[in-house]
Amino acid sequence: MDENEAFEYVKSTLKKEKITPYQSDELEIVKSIGACINCGLCINHCPVVAAVGLDRFSGPRSIAVELSRSPPEFWATADKVYLCTGCGTCREVCPKNVNIPEIVNVVRANIFEHRPDLVPKGLMIVKEIIEEHNLAFEPWEDKEEKEESRDMRLERLGLPSIPDIVKENAEVLFYPGCQAEERAQEVREAAKAILDYFDVDYTLLDEFSCCSLPSQLMGDAKTARKLAHQLKGKVKKLGVKKIVTTCAGCTSTLADLSVRDEWGAPAYHLLEYLVEEIGFEKLADALKKTAKPNDIHVSVHDPCHLIRHTSRQVMEHALNILRLMPGVRVSESVAHDNCCGGGGMVSFHASEVANSVVQENLIALEKTGAERLVTPCPLCTAQLESNLFKSGSSIEVDDLTVFIAQRLPKKG
Amino acid sequence: MTKSKFDVVVIGGGSTGTAVARDCAMRGLQTLLLERDDIASATVGTCAGMISSGLKYRDEPDMMKICSKEVVYWNHIARHIIAKNPILAPLLDLSDAASDSSYMESYSEHVEERDVPAMMFLTPDASIEIEPMLHPEIIASVYYEEYFIDPFRLCLLQALDARNHGAEIRTYCEVIDFEINDKQEIEGVIFYNRVSGATERVETKLVVNAAGPWAHKVAKSAKDYLPIRLNKGAHVIFDRRIVNIGITVKAMDGRWIYLFPHENTTLLGTTALDTWENPDTLVASFDEIEYLLQSMETVLPSIREARIIRTMTGVRPLVPDWKVPERNVTRGYRIIDHSENDGKKGLISFLGGKLVTCRHMAEAVTDLVCEKLGKDIACSTHEKPLPGNEDDVDIIALSKEYDISLHALERMRARRGTEMVKVLELTKEHPEWKTTICTCEPIIEAEIRLSIREEFPQTLNDLRRRLRLGTGPCQGTFCTYKAASILSDELGLAGDDFLVDILDFRAERWKGIRQSMRGEQLAQEELAQGMYACVGNLDQSDVDYDVKPWEEGF
Ligand SMILES: Cc1cc2nc3c(=O)[nH]c(=O)nc-3n(C[C@H](O)[C@H](O)[C@H](O)COP(=O)(O)OP(=O)(O)OC[C@H]3O[C@@H](n4cnc5c(N)ncnc54)[C@H](O)[C@@H]3O)c2cc1C
Ligand code: SF4
Ligand code: SF4
Repeated sequence: MDENEAFEYVKSTLKKEKITPYQSDELEIVKSIGACINCGLCINHCPVVAAVGLDRFSGPRSIAVELSRSPPEFWATADKVYLCTGCGTCREVCPKNVNIPEIVNVVRANIFEHRPDLVPKGLMIVKEIIEEHNLAFEPWEDKEEKEESRDMRLERLGLPSIPDIVKENAEVLFYPGCQAEERAQEVREAAKAILDYFDVDYTLLDEFSCCSLPSQLMGDAKTARKLAHQLKGKVKKLGVKKIVTTCAGCTSTLADLSVRDEWGAPAYHLLEYLVEEIGFEKLADALKKTAKPNDIHVSVHDPCHLIRHTSRQVMEHALNILRLMPGVRVSESVAHDNCCGGGGMVSFHASEVANSVVQENLIALEKTGAERLVTPCPLCTAQLESNLFKSGSSIEVDDLTVFIAQRLPKKG
Repeated sequence: MTKSKFDVVVIGGGSTGTAVARDCAMRGLQTLLLERDDIASATVGTCAGMISSGLKYRDEPDMMKICSKEVVYWNHIARHIIAKNPILAPLLDLSDAASDSSYMESYSEHVEERDVPAMMFLTPDASIEIEPMLHPEIIASVYYEEYFIDPFRLCLLQALDARNHGAEIRTYCEVIDFEINDKQEIEGVIFYNRVSGATERVETKLVVNAAGPWAHKVAKSAKDYLPIRLNKGAHVIFDRRIVNIGITVKAMDGRWIYLFPHENTTLLGTTALDTWENPDTLVASFDEIEYLLQSMETVLPSIREARIIRTMTGVRPLVPDWKVPERNVTRGYRIIDHSENDGKKGLISFLGGKLVTCRHMAEAVTDLVCEKLGKDIACSTHEKPLPGNEDDVDIIALSKEYDISLHALERMRARRGTEMVKVLELTKEHPEWKTTICTCEPIIEAEIRLSIREEFPQTLNDLRRRLRLGTGPCQGTFCTYKAASILSDELGLAGDDFLVDILDFRAERWKGIRQSMRGEQLAQEELAQGMYACVGNLDQSDVDYDVKPWEEGF
């Protein structure tokens, strides 16, 4: 055997033994898991454990001290690891900073490679959609219908219609994310309206493609790398200096990828961009000019991908922006930073788990007496909205981007 | 019912003794195994579990042939407790490569029957892709594959199988004397029952001394003589599998050392020092730990950052070859028939040997035993499977049927194979026994109960050997009390016994932890101390407990 044949042979043995060599960028994660002291502190903070109990989901500690110790056995964690929403609460409370959400991705990637039969069917459906369309959701078949739906939403919400712009060398790339691109189109339009209002020099992608988070979460590491590579190419070609998004998941993913793959363009959530680049002064001026605002009592939900995967400061920004709005009263819910259950692709295959996780949020929300819930993520919005609706609650949900856009005066 | 007359008494419940008891029992001999502590409590419990091709012993072609054949047998009779490890030997300079060519040839002679490839070279890029922790400046690496067996389960399964074939297995029975008649024939064995405190005797025609590093002492109590060369070996154990594959490298003194993923840990070993110390109280020294770490660092520079959970130390009972370094001492074994050297008649002792060859050793000695007893019965230990190896196990179906997590079942399977169903059946009547007791491994209560009922453990340490209780990263920080209460419940232990057993178990963990305590493990030990001293008040306990030699400062 020559060296190449030898390498192929070795790879085939590794495959048989269900070993996927850790990549060098995974070594830090593995090392962090090795720091777990089994103290169990995390268990009481895990929203999934709280919702469905330890028998159904054995929780973050078990992921650290039991499930992630031996790659050849990772397949046998398939009944547990897909129930982690990746909310990062465990990592935040852990005295040793054990990086559970990341090791979950590593474990899922191993299962995806060696035992695809054990990957939940709901995730495999998403995988096929991504493969075909580079999007996490089936795109509209009929472009016109998509536009009609968009216009109806704009009208209902009283948002201006702003034409799409695609151009090279803009200052900012606005990246709506799959949910806002295909489903919650009002978020995409609202963001455009905001950027337009503040005269930001921005562009959209010529052809939208997924940030790779869903592929990463389902363990499809290959596709995740492909999508990340694709997006980097687009960003480079457009020559933008910054990337702005309205989705919490995209924010943390793009921020990570931009560093890991050296994009040369940092990623922001729109809220961060507004506060850091536009500034409170301009924001306050604009929001004060809103014609006759109705008084409204809102509560806020913190997306995990912002507070725990990006920075808690993003939600500070959100609250500060809300405080600038005349007529808006904010009541904090005790579960404001509890995961909505929609993360980690859990809602795609175990919606009953996702929906029991969100119950805690709903109960706390009712107690605030707020009439509306706002949150800066279209995925959290969808998960909270559908569960509030099902529970018969009268609380409405707005994506915070839409809520802000609605409160800006007409440009002129 | 305890009998008092046997064809053969086997002394020692390590890999050798349990293999002998199994073979004797399977050939229909009235067999008694006496073990002074627990099954696999000594040397075999500190070994790496490699059932190796014998590649280190290329100067002993017969030995390599035996090893290779035995690997084939093990894969036939015990595949449920065996795993394959791909291994890389990274090379840092060309002289390494040259000195290795003879290894490569001899390894490759028997590869086909073991179903592994011949040794091959990999490029540096390929090597680093397989193991990104490797030193970036390696020039090539050699790839090969070896099999590993769970040494604890192997010994226990051999003992259980011996019992299934009619042998009596008695643990905590230390042989202290022999009854010898005028013709210098052994007629009886006298032993001290460490549980009851009574001295007992049995009659026997023959005695097989498989007492490992105590073999010479057993011979001495028969007023006989057995030269032996004792050699200390230590391992450093890391939490979880920190390497994708095994790594071997030449240490600073030219010996081969290795880093092997083993179950859900990684073993770094071993050292080799001639020793005259008491094997029971030996611990790894600072020098040994540094020797291993520094040698492995040459090819895996980040090894020192990984979390060490403990060390383990054993003593090899080598053949007494003098004036040669340890690595040149034969790894073959000798069967000493004491009657041939004017010694006691009826006493047969082992020297040397390996885990991998224990079945072979047993076959040879049982042939001799049969010959002496005038029986002609063929050996079948290489054909008949050990308990649990009969069939494949469908973990996914079992998980659905019994509503227990896949991973808990997969770990149970690796210990019990098809026999795991017995554990699961218990949960039908007692669904509450699905509770996880040891969180690292994991182990559910039903398995602990079944083990206590069918695998004759007396202590928490015995449970550890049977189930890997408390062997994970937390080293029993949380499972000890839970397991102790189950043990007390099943065995009817009194309160003081319960506490003493907890202290013993902690002491045994400490024996391995103390030597290598550093880095991340310090935080764990703080927590464990909080648990047992501050919460459990064990440091203030007034029970009658003998402090172990390694627990200085109390
Ligand atoms: C660090 C290390 C690594 C090793 N790695 C490997 C490996 O990877 N592969 C391999 O094949 N081999 C390996 N070996 C060698 C192998 O472990 C031993 O050769 C083998 O297990 C010895 O088994 P044994 O049964 O002879 O001895 P032991 O396991 O020591 O058993 C002897 C038993 O006799 C009992 N006993 C002693 N005196 C009395 C008495 N008076 N009455 C009753 N009972 C008594 C003891 O309690 C003990 O349980 C390794 C050895 C060491 C030290
Ligand atoms: S990331 Fe969230 S859901 Fe997952 S284990 Fe941690 S706390 Fe639980
Ligand atoms: S992950 Fe962190 S919080 Fe959870 S048990 Fe381990 S050390 Fe404790």
